[in-house]
Amino acid sequence: MVYYLIVCRSLTYAQRTATALERAGITAHILRSPKVIDQEGCSHSVKVSERNLADALMILARVGLSPKRVYIMASDGSYKEVLL
Amino acid sequence: MIYFDSAATTLQKPPVVARATARAMGRLASPGRGGHRPAMEAAEVAFTCRQAAAQLFDVSDPERVVFTFNATHALNLAIKSLVRPTDTVLISGYEHNAVTRPLQALGVKIKVAESPLFRPQSMLARFDALLTPEVRCVICNHVSNVFGYALPVEGIASLCHARGVPLIVDASQSAGSLPVHLEALGAAFIAMPGHKGLFGPQGTGLLLCGEGVEVNPLLEGGTGSSSALQDMPDFLPDRLESGTHNICGIAGLLEGIRFVQRKGVGVIAAHEKRLMMQAADALTARGGVWAYVDQSQSCQSGVLSMNIAGRDCEEVAGELGRRGICVRAGLHCAPLAHRSVGTLESGTVRLSFSPFNTAREVQSFLEEIDRLL
Repeated sequence: MVYYLIVCRSLTYAQRTATALERAGITAHILRSPKVIDQEGCSHSVKVSERNLADALMILARVGLSPKRVYIMASDGSYKEVLL
Repeated sequence: MIYFDSAATTLQKPPVVARATARAMGRLASPGRGGHRPAMEAAEVAFTCRQAAAQLFDVSDPERVVFTFNATHALNLAIKSLVRPTDTVLISGYEHNAVTRPLQALGVKIKVAESPLFRPQSMLARFDALLTPEVRCVICNHVSNVFGYALPVEGIASLCHARGVPLIVDASQSAGSLPVHLEALGAAFIAMPGHKGLFGPQGTGLLLCGEGVEVNPLLEGGTGSSSALQDMPDFLPDRLESGTHNICGIAGLLEGIRFVQRKGVGVIAAHEKRLMMQAADALTARGGVWAYVDQSQSCQSGVLSMNIAGRDCEEVAGELGRRGICVRAGLHCAPLAHRSVGTLESGTVRLSFSPFNTAREVQSFLEEIDRLL
């Protein structure tokens, strides 16, 4: 299954991000960022489904939350950065 | 036992606080230090606590709610973020050593806005006169821990705002007992303990940070974020929260804050003030007893200082303690406040109330005082 990871600067930021998305009806799950996408060391990401990314980004922009980076996990398990 | 020392630590707490703290000990790990369930549950508790505090204290963003170990820790973070050794700092004449000692250690020039007890207009006039261009920062407590004097913090904040000077508020005695609003005050920082009016366990505190205010850590270390970098993260709360959190304390603090929210700050304030006035009126009516009371009843919270003529304050507190009444005597770590009121030599006996105290307890205290006279 294809999904997106919204990389956040901190755990608390990820929690704010997930809370904002859940409030808008978008399922959001916090997890530790996979090491391969973790450019500065440990971080947390918010996982959203493929179909929800556009809405999620719109909601986050509306509430003033900026993702650090967004990655897509392809069906082969690799991650590719999504240019916003 | 009758406990009238809530200005130091609230001993009687909602039972759910102890339950949450004990539960955390067995179930919660460390926020941000693992993706497993105990770590993520801990993260959830910490975030929920930040959200609850942000709601109670009018902070628009829970990231600006920083966990500390007590109010002293929070004040040190705030002071050492804003103040440099060559600066001039303006403080009220009612500050605690948690403010004056860090300033002394920094070696700054301290200006003191001295004014009589329970005279807020006089204090505002002093701040107005002393808030001159060389002042880098203003620090004042919201309520004096010795006399329960509620300082005119809104007026002081307006003066600071008009002159572009950052304000640090010590809300140690007001958090949970009086309305405290970070955004409305426009303060740079508000520091508070978790273990007093918020009913959390000892070892908890909060620092509320104004938007865009520069913050500098007292401690550097692991934060569970940006781990490959050797500089501390430049974002809150991580910048000020290195090392493992006191998550058991935070779990208890969350329940304490929820208790305050359920009960209502206004109800708590009214109850504590009613008990304080009951004690003050009765003490004032007794010969040989001096109670420091705001006759206008407009600027005193549920804290009351008193003395008995010819009796050492520590001796009086000791006698009361032996009779099962817990009060605190001495200088209350606030010699400046005592100097302002003229009690530096004598100290005072302090009574401080909580929502768990009753009028009957005040009556029992008064009966013991009569036996001491």
